[in-house]
Amino acid sequence: MFRVKASKASTVIFIRNALFFPSIFDARESRAFCFAKRGRVKAKVKRQKAKLIVVLAMLVLAGCRGGANSNAANSATSTAPTRVVMDDLDRQVTLPVKVTRVVSTAPSVTENIFAVGAGDRLVGVTTFCNYPEQAKEIAKIGDTMTPNMESIIALKPDVVFVSTASQIEAFMKTLDANGIAVYVTNPTSLEALYSNLEQLGIIFGTTDASTKLIADLEGREHEIWKIVGYPLHRDESLAAHDKRVAAVKVFVQISKEPLFTIGNGAFLNDLIVTAGGRSVTEQVESAFPKLSKETAAALNPDAIILSESDDNKEPNEVFKNSPAVKNGRIYKVNADLLSRPGPRLVDALEQIAKDLHPEKFK
Amino acid sequence: MVSALAERFCWAKARRIFETYSLAKASGNLLKTEKFQNSRNRALLIGGGLIALLLIVLAGAAMLGAERLPLFDLNEQQRSILYDIRLPRILLGACVGASLAVAGAGLQSLLRNPLAEPYLLGVSNGAALGTMLAFVFFQSLEVTRPLLAFAGAGLATVAVYRMAKSRAGMNVERLVLSGVIVTTFLSSVIVMLTTLLDAAKLRSFTFWLLGDLSQATRNGVYLSLGAVIVGTVVLTSQARALNLMMVGERDAFDFGVEVGRVRILVFGASSLVVGAAVAASGSVGYVGLIVPHLVRLSVGSDNRLVVPFSAVAGAIFVVFADTIARTAIAPRELPVGAVTALIGAPMFIYLLRRN
Repeated sequence: MFRVKASKASTVIFIRNALFFPSIFDARESRAFCFAKRGRVKAKVKRQKAKLIVVLAMLVLAGCRGGANSNAANSATSTAPTRVVMDDLDRQVTLPVKVTRVVSTAPSVTENIFAVGAGDRLVGVTTFCNYPEQAKEIAKIGDTMTPNMESIIALKPDVVFVSTASQIEAFMKTLDANGIAVYVTNPTSLEALYSNLEQLGIIFGTTDASTKLIADLEGREHEIWKIVGYPLHRDESLAAHDKRVAAVKVFVQISKEPLFTIGNGAFLNDLIVTAGGRSVTEQVESAFPKLSKETAAALNPDAIILSESDDNKEPNEVFKNSPAVKNGRIYKVNADLLSRPGPRLVDALEQIAKDLHPEKFK
Repeated sequence: MVSALAERFCWAKARRIFETYSLAKASGNLLKTEKFQNSRNRALLIGGGLIALLLIVLAGAAMLGAERLPLFDLNEQQRSILYDIRLPRILLGACVGASLAVAGAGLQSLLRNPLAEPYLLGVSNGAALGTMLAFVFFQSLEVTRPLLAFAGAGLATVAVYRMAKSRAGMNVERLVLSGVIVTTFLSSVIVMLTTLLDAAKLRSFTFWLLGDLSQATRNGVYLSLGAVIVGTVVLTSQARALNLMMVGERDAFDFGVEVGRVRILVFGASSLVVGAAVAASGSVGYVGLIVPHLVRLSVGSDNRLVVPFSAVAGAIFVVFADTIARTAIAPRELPVGAVTALIGAPMFIYLLRRN
């Protein structure tokens, strides 16, 4: 399972980590360690587990088919060969070997499916799905919060992709009764996003495209590391890391009134750290908390990132005396980029890194 | 038989009027008796106590918050936190509490219904819908929000009143029923609007609908303060008439109360205060229901005392609840409407059972 990458970035980390922890072999593994987040390690393990299950299922199928090859043409009927894959909630999902019709209930999932080259298999998307352009042409099944069950069933999909576990139980019952599988995807970091894309590649049989995409995205992320600074080393203190990359104190404003920001449950924290910043609200409980204005007034961020939308075009009044407003360090980022864990997250990463460290990109 | 019943009814009514009248007359002679002096002292004591409590709660609220501030020697940032964020919010909370409580006290007496309350009668929802429409159509003109809120509250009040009134008069069930109907109708319109609005606006509205004082500005405080002073003065000036109307509109009319004028004044004043409160803070429920009842439990049902005391008690209640909303899970915040209901319901049940 060890993969050694021959890029400069990973070589540096490899040497550095090998001195302290000889079993760490590539840059990605060291990232998993440096943040000491079990989620990442779990994502990695899960990915390997899922691969194993797929391989096993394929083997079993291959064995079956050997005896009954004439049935292969009959695959459209209920006896179509199936396989089992693991989704992000560790559920086992039974899918046909050839997945041809899928429905997405989240704009991020739609973007991911297009990105791995399977956009033509999408038969239903939400009204929020506005990227890429082709997604607008696909039949709509309602929005993410209130998907229309009848439209989904009428589309006869092989599998429905759901982004979070919010309505999963009600969803499961109805779809199960109609013989439609539900696959839950819930990437919460760049690392999890890559494994998610890899999974989609496996599900759609477009591993060539997905591997290329992941390599490209990882390459771009590593470029940012090279320019901004490498991620936290496992025996480096947070303060030392922030000093090394000259981390900028960032406040992310999700909405101006009432004042919403990102808390410790948001995947954007890692993105900002990678971009050479640190969210001043990363200790606050929950993913998108409504923040007390008093606390906000005492935060003194050096930069403010606005998730750009109609009601969020300028920083809240309480920041009027902060260094960010005084020095004009207000940056707008497309809200779709920040709120959808898809391939465009790396676009957001590049943009934020350039905004926070313009001097390093000269 | 019908005539016999009618006769009996008339006698009963006449006796009631006579008793009320003689009570009113007797009260003139009571002015100098010991019992009256006692009740006046009691009222003064309770009033003084309420004002002292309000001052204590205001001072406590000013000292507590998500950020710890020293008592003296504030630096520029701390001063900004205190004067631009915390104090406007506390004062707005006090105005909103006073507004909803006096509106509740006035409506309960006028409609002779203990359940009459801005929230239950749909007045709050009317104001909320007005504010939303102002937000959708005149986004840049913030002045339109309290104006349309006032209009919405007034229309909802009139609608409920007209629906509740029948040829046979107005009874408790009919009023509550029409209140529920207007409330649910307006809620569904609000839900329709939030669904049609795009997601970004929706987010701020869902929070605002639950009651949110975090958007307090100085101008908002001035506006609410003006509205609540006008409203309380108008309602207190009608308190004597309201006392008579509590017996019955007909009887009040017989005593020379201009029923129509009182009704318009009370409806107008409550719509004004509720409109200003809702435009500033969304729907904070429960205040208009429990505060006047708590006041009545302690000072009796004389509206000359109930209305102004309700204003002070409502201010205390909302400032207290909002302090909890601000500090309980700091640096995050709870919606103040949830806290008022959470404190209000058990407190009310306890007092009701004890008396």
